[in-house]
Amino acid sequence: MSIPTPTSVNLTRRGLLAAGAVVGGSALLSGCLGAANTPAASGASNANVSLTLQSSLSDPKPKAALEQVVKGYTKYPTTLNTVAIEQFRAQLSTYLTSGNPPDVLTWYAGSVARDYASKGLLLDLSDLWTGNGACANFSPALKSLSSDAGGKQIFVPTNYYWWSVFYRKSAFAEWGVKPPTTWEEFMALCETLKSKGISPLTNGTGSTAWMASGWFDYLDLRINGAAYHRELLAGKHSFDSAEVRKVLDTYAKLIPFFDPKGRSYTWQEAATPLVNKKAGMYLIGAFVTTAFPAGDVDDVDFFSVPPINPNVPSAEEAPTDGYFASASTKNPAATKDLLGYLASAKQQQLFISQSGSSNLPTSPDVDSSGFPPLVQKGMKLLAGTKEITQFFNRDSSDALQATADAALTKFLDNPGQVSTILTDWQTAAKKVWGS
Amino acid sequence: MSLTHDLSRNRRATLEPDTRPGPRRGRRLSRRVPPVVWLLLLIPFLVEVGWVFYPAFNSFQLSFTKWNGVGAAQPVGLRNYTDMLSDPIFATALRNNVFWVLGFGGLSVVTGLALALALNKPRRGVGIYRSAIYLPMVFSLAVTGLFWRVMYQPDGPVNVVLAGIGINTKEHQWLADPNTALGAILVAAIWRQAGYIMVLYLAGLKGCDPALEEAAAVDGASRWQRLRYIVMPQLRNVNTVIFAVTVIDSLRTFDIVWAMTRGGPYNTTQLLSTYMYQVGFTLVNLGYGSALAVVIFLLAIAFIITYLARATRED
Repeated sequence: MSIPTPTSVNLTRRGLLAAGAVVGGSALLSGCLGAANTPAASGASNANVSLTLQSSLSDPKPKAALEQVVKGYTKYPTTLNTVAIEQFRAQLSTYLTSGNPPDVLTWYAGSVARDYASKGLLLDLSDLWTGNGACANFSPALKSLSSDAGGKQIFVPTNYYWWSVFYRKSAFAEWGVKPPTTWEEFMALCETLKSKGISPLTNGTGSTAWMASGWFDYLDLRINGAAYHRELLAGKHSFDSAEVRKVLDTYAKLIPFFDPKGRSYTWQEAATPLVNKKAGMYLIGAFVTTAFPAGDVDDVDFFSVPPINPNVPSAEEAPTDGYFASASTKNPAATKDLLGYLASAKQQQLFISQSGSSNLPTSPDVDSSGFPPLVQKGMKLLAGTKEITQFFNRDSSDALQATADAALTKFLDNPGQVSTILTDWQTAAKKVWGS
Repeated sequence: MSLTHDLSRNRRATLEPDTRPGPRRGRRLSRRVPPVVWLLLLIPFLVEVGWVFYPAFNSFQLSFTKWNGVGAAQPVGLRNYTDMLSDPIFATALRNNVFWVLGFGGLSVVTGLALALALNKPRRGVGIYRSAIYLPMVFSLAVTGLFWRVMYQPDGPVNVVLAGIGINTKEHQWLADPNTALGAILVAAIWRQAGYIMVLYLAGLKGCDPALEEAAAVDGASRWQRLRYIVMPQLRNVNTVIFAVTVIDSLRTFDIVWAMTRGGPYNTTQLLSTYMYQVGFTLVNLGYGSALAVVIFLLAIAFIITYLARATRED
């Protein structure tokens, strides 16, 4: 152990302390200078407004795509800060409440945005939704999704994607099977694939436990309907109810068809068996195409989860991404200008084509004729459905998602304990709603 | 040896002036520490207050409130702490933490000491072994976690090797099975920590007097007796360091668990630290998160104070 002996000349220690003090002092001084500088800098730039765009798109391709989009914006100098999504989520409230907030932030439409709006943290963007505004001709469904409780628009949706059961056309042809249109056909297809030694379904519920909510959401939409699903997530029904029990009883029938290794996988790893034709189908968002090698993307197709209860209206999950702005931005006009630019058809198209995902544009003016057939089919699916939900966490909260992750992964391991699991889930959910 | 010697000499040296009459002592002290040093000391002290003590104090305050980072924090009294008593995840995390401190502390020290004893004698190639065992230490815990996550995949190297030596694990899912997940993480953590402990013990063993051991051997002491009564007492200073390092390391463990399981499957591998992170930063429930942080702090302090009290009494 090389601990410097305390007897080693006092001068050295003093020297060390002095050096430490100088370093500490200079850090402090530069801290003071920095603090003094910031207002001065922004004061000086009042004539020449600059904007900050805080982005959570940290995956390489979407990040590069947004960088390209922002580069094309020349009206006001704009700084793009990209932060890893976990950190972004944790710091979002800090960003919005800080004295000098980022002007524009990427995030989700729906209950999360509404929650911040109810605290007065979001800029009123209604201008963009009327007259010549960039969002004026977006669909009414998107408008209501982007509105707060008082009917003001506080969000600018720029792209969304759909969830469905994805499969490989060539694999289905090899196995001599066809995509099902009814629930009975779907269950029969699972049986057929299993008898051929193929895992009918794959899912990555390891460190991405939220993937277990995909099937839960869809089964609830198909059995109890979108209205019930929304109310359930808002705390108006109990997870311990006969309706939810019915959902899990159906879910239990699917468990034998899942690739058992999925319990250890992330959603990305779970796509590998699908790519390699070891698994047949994957209920997931359209972002799954990013997991396929470039040459295989054309081979990907999907079908909607078949109806179960004929009495409920059709519904699909379509999580919507976009931007909101801080209420305390120093330059509301410039901020809205940037948002209008981001929402424009041309920039939506550029972002979608560069990001490599299969996301859909929210602007009806985007020329979709050049989009791949898969994306066009996705647009048709969403245009034809009666109800649109987003996803468990986006329709409720991250806190409720955590309770669903625990309950559903436990259920997938122990379907026999469904009663206690649902009771525990309701207890945990009540705490979330009550807080 | 020389360290303790110097220390005691120094203590005597500083004690001497204390025995002299008051006024003279004061003058002497002020001559020894000129005001400018006090001034310079004040700066790092203020930095410490602003960046360490104030946030820590703030965390105590927050633990009596309900706050999601927006608006004013609502005071709720002791509710966060009473909630903890009925929180099943907190109970699991606490149990796991006890398991972790004992398992991680105990096994890494035993493995590290065994390796140090085995590799202490100079032999050909011993340097290669020492470096190889120490090598995992250069990875951060997060990287270790990601690496072992791949090792533990159902069709990963761990299952392949076990099958190779005739143990059919049926593609056991080490990290997805609540019965094996925490143990599997423990193995990965010890794989990294044991080399570090080994190096500390090797350094300690270098300071042991070989003549004492030889004399004991001549007197007919067995290997075990020599280790227990001759070597271990000489390693007391190293043990102090290792105990402190190990307790602190095991209480602050976070990254490896987060990288490998994120506290799953269904919260069965949550430690207090991962649960605090999840509550505080993923769910932004800062009041309850702070209350958990306070509990971790109290546990760490309790451990360290008890230990320090015992160690100083022995001196």
